[in-house]
Amino acid sequence: MPKKVLVVDDDPDVRLINRTIIEENGYTALIAEDGEQGLQIIKKESPDLVLLDVLMPKQSGLRLYSQLKTNKSFQKIPVVILSGIAKRTFLRSQKALVEFGGNEVPEPEIYLEKPVESDELGKVLRDLLG
Amino acid sequence: MEKILLIDDEEAILRVLARSLRSDGYEVITAKSGDEGIQTFIRESPQIVLTDIKMPGMDGLEVLKRIKDIQSEAEVIIITGHGDIDSAIESLQYGASDFVNKPVRDKALAIALERARKKLDIRRQLKEYTTDLENMCQIATEEVRRKSKFTDRLIKSSNDGIVATDEEWKVIIFNPGAERIFGYSRYEIIRKTDIRDLCPTEIAEIFNEKAAQKKPMEQLPWKETLITSKDGDKIPVRFSGTVLYEDNMMVGSVGFFQDLREIKRLERELIHSERLAAIGQTVAGMAHGIKNILYGFKGGSYLVNLGIDKDDKLKLKDGWQMIQRNINRTSDLVLDLLSYSKEREPEYENCFPNEIAEEVCDLMKETANEHEIEILKDFGQNIGEMMLDVRTVHRSLMNLVSNAIDACIFDDNPNKDYKVIVKTGIGPDSNLFFEVTDNGSGMSDEVKSKLFTSFFSTKGDKGTGLGLLVTRKLIEEHNGTIHVASRLGGGTTFTVRLPYKKAGPAH
Repeated sequence: MPKKVLVVDDDPDVRLINRTIIEENGYTALIAEDGEQGLQIIKKESPDLVLLDVLMPKQSGLRLYSQLKTNKSFQKIPVVILSGIAKRTFLRSQKALVEFGGNEVPEPEIYLEKPVESDELGKVLRDLLG
Repeated sequence: MEKILLIDDEEAILRVLARSLRSDGYEVITAKSGDEGIQTFIRESPQIVLTDIKMPGMDGLEVLKRIKDIQSEAEVIIITGHGDIDSAIESLQYGASDFVNKPVRDKALAIALERARKKLDIRRQLKEYTTDLENMCQIATEEVRRKSKFTDRLIKSSNDGIVATDEEWKVIIFNPGAERIFGYSRYEIIRKTDIRDLCPTEIAEIFNEKAAQKKPMEQLPWKETLITSKDGDKIPVRFSGTVLYEDNMMVGSVGFFQDLREIKRLERELIHSERLAAIGQTVAGMAHGIKNILYGFKGGSYLVNLGIDKDDKLKLKDGWQMIQRNINRTSDLVLDLLSYSKEREPEYENCFPNEIAEEVCDLMKETANEHEIEILKDFGQNIGEMMLDVRTVHRSLMNLVSNAIDACIFDDNPNKDYKVIVKTGIGPDSNLFFEVTDNGSGMSDEVKSKLFTSFFSTKGDKGTGLGLLVTRKLIEEHNGTIHVASRLGGGTTFTVRLPYKKAGPAH
């Protein structure tokens, strides 16, 4: 049974690229268009990895990430952030979220900035999923 | 105490009269002849002289004449012989204040002296008044001079140009402020130039009109206009002025000119720096957009390569479409950036606003239909032809209609019939308006407040975050306004108003 990778991104191009990379590396791709949908799929499918965008309508990747990391059933799922936003900005926003009463969460294990090379993304997936 | 000089050749009379006068409280000095009398008069300057008319040597009339020569204000009373009316009259003609007959009776003398004293008093008072008057006059003159100097300084020190004229419009005041604005020296202008020749036609007309009304006017409200300087430069100024009246007669006119060059320069600088700041602040936002586009290009090439390697037509097609989409996104972003950073004067041409709206609706119809959104047209029939910058209107409308469609797509409620209404018309202010209304997602106050800021987008990676910013810039360059009314969940209406410009002759 191939491992499942969830792609959460509002950009259809990115979804298609990521899905192709995932499938080319022999995994199953699950697709969500925003944070809300992402959470539903995580609950239903318990993916082995989440590939998460940050800027999205409805629920941002930032919030979904902290939801996952503060939830006992999901916090073990590795999350790879893949965003056009710089890591620095993400961490700053994360800190701001905590200041506004959010829970303290660890920094994401892997943070990739778009445009990432497809080979590199593939390697990251293989490293994490084996 | 009054000093009296008594002149008589008869010593007995001198003695008796002197004693009597002293007892009346006068200071009395005596002389026994006309000559001695004159010398005593010069030495003692008495106020009153009492002289006998008939004396050996210099007689009383001669004494009178000489004393009047020396001091015309001295009161001289002549003592005449009994019944010598002729001498008495003659003495009066030479300026004697009175005469008394011999033998001198106390009462007659007392009356004459009293009169003399009264005259002296009056003269003294008169002198005081005159001196007072002169003093007051001097003070007043000084005050007027001071005030006029003050006014003069006030006018000179004013940063604004002050130009005042006489009743025939000839300039009589042209302060340094006016020199700076107009570039003429006051010597070139004062008493030589008609103020109406210095002003632009519109101001000259106001002056003429106000003068023709022949009644005092309110100061004109400030008005921005352009004057032509000596060098022929057009200088932006704020003007106010008035025609001056006194008793319903025009006595002059005055114009105030505020130099707006510095303000205009600052305004330009401000706009420029705001634009720079807007771009600078949001380089991160732009970088984000560019990164996404780049990822699209890379991913597209990745798909194309896969397609070629595996002879997979579907991947090839997907990859190629992705590259094309991202070419479009690149060109959108670049075009938006270019129009936002470029200063552009509107290019007015004759057109039918409804035709532009029609074209935009047609262009957007396909996208709208794909998402089952209806575009409704509500065009004002009374609009006709007018002058507009067609590109501005076209781009702005495209942007607003595509935003409206996005708002409906974004809302994504299967039970709702989505509609975008495009309305045109002439408003009560006789300006042209365009209204784009949707019943899509609407906006929160927070979103509304960020609406016209750069790189703000609710469309995730789809928007450039510049669309509305560019739209507003185009409309403002066209001297128009853009307003938004929106309720979260209740849809949005954008209203664009543009000044009505009558269609010109076809060219």
